[in-house]
Amino acid sequence: MTGISAGTGKRLFFLFTKIYKYIPVAIAAGVILVSSCTKLSEFDIGKDFIESQTRLQVVDTFRVDLSTIIQDSLRTSGTKVALVGNLKDDLFGNVKCETYFDLAFSVFGAIEDKAYFDSAAFILPFTGYSVGDTLADMTVGIHALTEKITTGNDGYLYSINSFDYQPVPMSIVTIHPEPHSKIDTALNFRVDALGEDLFNKIRDNDVNVSSSEWFMDYIKGFVVTPGNSANKAVIGLNAAENKINLKIYYHLSLEEPEKKEITISMGEINHQFNHIDYDMSTTYLDNIKNSGNKKMASETGYKGYMQGLTGLITKVQFPSLQDIFMESNWKILKAELILEPVAHSYDNYPLPEKLYIYQTDMVSRASSVLRDERGNSISQLTDDDNNPLTATFDYDKILGENTRYTFDITSYINKELAGKYFEYKRGLHLGLSPDDYRTTLNRILFEGKRPPVKLRLYYLSY
Amino acid sequence: MRTARKTYIILLVILGFQTAIVTAQSTSSPYSVFGLGFLEGNSAGPFRAMGGTGIGFLSEKSVNYMNPASYCGIDSLISVFEVGLFGKYSTFSTSRESQSLFNSNLKYILMGFRVTPWLATSFGFSPYSSIGYNINTLSPIEGTNQQFVKTFTGEGGVNQVYFGGSVTPVKNLSLGFNAAYLFGNVTHTESSDLYSYYLEDITYISNFDFNYGLNYRVIVDKMRFSLGLIYGSSKKLKTENVTTIQTASATETLKKRSYKYNLPQNMGVGIAFTKGFFSAGFDFERSDWEDVQFKNAFIHTRNSNRYSLGIEFPSQGPKKGTTGMIFYRIGGEFRESYITIDNTPINYRALTLGAGIPLNNWISVVNVSLEVGQNGTTKNGLFRENFINLNLDLSFKDFWFVKKRYN
Repeated sequence: MTGISAGTGKRLFFLFTKIYKYIPVAIAAGVILVSSCTKLSEFDIGKDFIESQTRLQVVDTFRVDLSTIIQDSLRTSGTKVALVGNLKDDLFGNVKCETYFDLAFSVFGAIEDKAYFDSAAFILPFTGYSVGDTLADMTVGIHALTEKITTGNDGYLYSINSFDYQPVPMSIVTIHPEPHSKIDTALNFRVDALGEDLFNKIRDNDVNVSSSEWFMDYIKGFVVTPGNSANKAVIGLNAAENKINLKIYYHLSLEEPEKKEITISMGEINHQFNHIDYDMSTTYLDNIKNSGNKKMASETGYKGYMQGLTGLITKVQFPSLQDIFMESNWKILKAELILEPVAHSYDNYPLPEKLYIYQTDMVSRASSVLRDERGNSISQLTDDDNNPLTATFDYDKILGENTRYTFDITSYINKELAGKYFEYKRGLHLGLSPDDYRTTLNRILFEGKRPPVKLRLYYLSY
Repeated sequence: MRTARKTYIILLVILGFQTAIVTAQSTSSPYSVFGLGFLEGNSAGPFRAMGGTGIGFLSEKSVNYMNPASYCGIDSLISVFEVGLFGKYSTFSTSRESQSLFNSNLKYILMGFRVTPWLATSFGFSPYSSIGYNINTLSPIEGTNQQFVKTFTGEGGVNQVYFGGSVTPVKNLSLGFNAAYLFGNVTHTESSDLYSYYLEDITYISNFDFNYGLNYRVIVDKMRFSLGLIYGSSKKLKTENVTTIQTASATETLKKRSYKYNLPQNMGVGIAFTKGFFSAGFDFERSDWEDVQFKNAFIHTRNSNRYSLGIEFPSQGPKKGTTGMIFYRIGGEFRESYITIDNTPINYRALTLGAGIPLNNWISVVNVSLEVGQNGTTKNGLFRENFINLNLDLSFKDFWFVKKRYN
């Protein structure tokens, strides 16, 4: 055994001395060979005689029924946004916004001796939001309420609620609503009479300023309204905490006069709300609330209406999608809903960049902001990460021809079709976010005929 | 006998393990999209280096499972355990472009052992055919003028586990058989990343397969002339198809599809000549694929012939005749394809050269061979595959089970 292994060792050693010097060459050759390989993702030789078992087709001929539905009203209290103004809109009808609020009571400190009243004003800062013809001047007035603001049983106030107020305004201002103007950053209503009365009552420790109850009976609240003036725009005012204030200015008559002020802030946040009046009688939407809260596009010039605060929602239904079950062996890989705004319908009303899509809830939720025409709550479709699904917005600045909203509703369609039966009646609803519905008048007029709203399916058959 | 049993148990364990992890994808060629894919052939190490020539040879240096009658050549004192590995670099060229791929894998595990003086057996695992391709195409989105990338892949193949035996009833005449179990799957997929779908079409294949062989030898003047014959009958393979379509939202399984896969009748004749350390051989093999039809509009089957020849000679010099002697081998092979695409054959031609290098340690011999060849043609819109295939055959003779006898 030992003799043999000695010989073997010698031979092996000899073999390795022979092979060793070639090892680097062999490795280099191997590396070159392997690295020169085509990436699998780029390999296409053989494609000419491969038989595919699948076909991908795009089908966008399924019928889409377009309609407009309207909300009974929207909850506008506590949104921290106050809206004032008028819209003169030939397409959607005229809209008037007025905002209500009351004042917060606080224990007023004693006013110093030798104090003399100077002036008083309501300061309502702008949010920067405006809609309509913002180049024209607008006039708004502030009125004192003759009844207290009280919420309904649910603790909220809605766009249809209103309270009585003095017919004569306490103060009127005319502003240039262009939000970029540096001069006006707030609405400033001069209310010296109210201010002086309050000043005197505070100084004299009057019973009306001694407690919340007395104070609220004395100062019930205010409404800022465009009245009957011919405004063409609506502006937003910041109604967040401590933003809307009544300021009473006075001075102390000393050797060196000293300026002082008293600030009374807006009251309960849920007592601030926006009242919306609209008149759609000159539009296709006339009488929509008496038509089951819904009008088919065929009754509205083949258009779908969507607008915040008036509560217009565009609805789409797919009545022929059920036909898809007549074929077997298919899968929907992608489903897109494509809507285009009517050309020139948005010249004075910028298109919202964020558009959402809602489906009717299987179990209606009482807390829902939005409802379908039958009063069932609707909620937003969500994406894979459970965020609300938004449309891809293509804005064609130059020609306006390719401006469109595209929703990827693949998972909705696949879910709805999973049951081998498609219930088309519930449909899908297109609109703003729930918050924007309550705080903006943003709107879109969707084209329903040329081109129609398209449901585009990427359809795999196998 | 005891060692034989032990080795078989070891082998069974290894095989069980191997079949579990190796779904032997040993080819990588778009041509393997058709039928059962690329036919691997039954030649082990030294025979591969001789162009795959082996029908006439006995299993003296290696387990020659091409002809089961050859097992009688296994030395009565030696058990053979062989592992085959390969690495293949291919360049595919059409008339316009060229692309290349590399792949490597285990090729076979073979075992040979003489059980009694009159019976020699072999046991092994090897691929019968293999499928491996990955092709990207631009497919139309019907109803638009757009296209999308569709990826086709294929993998799998048919494996065999065989048990064979050989007897010598009359001097110089040996008869043998291989009983093989064929199993595996043919898997084709197509998918799109962009549209998130994946279709997987798997056909599970299985059946038993029997092959027979004969070897007859004439010895004249220290020269040995051998004649080998092999035969395998045609057989239907049992198949079961499962097609699964997967999308982002759903998975559906279709079971009603069925594909037929058959193996053709196969016969071959080989002659071999051996004098001293020199050998030469020639093979002719014919497979009646015409009887087998595949469901593919592009291809037709045809009866295919295989021709090969090879020689083996020893290194000269002082080591000649010792255990350190190196054998050199060269050969050539021509295989007619069993399919034609648009009436164009996809023939296989290769030149081989190799060496059997004795190490005489725990690996007794390393058989290396290099195969340079081509497959197909660039005519008629087809493509040609040029390949270099490095085969490594590790032969473990006198492995521990033999040493055990000294204990």
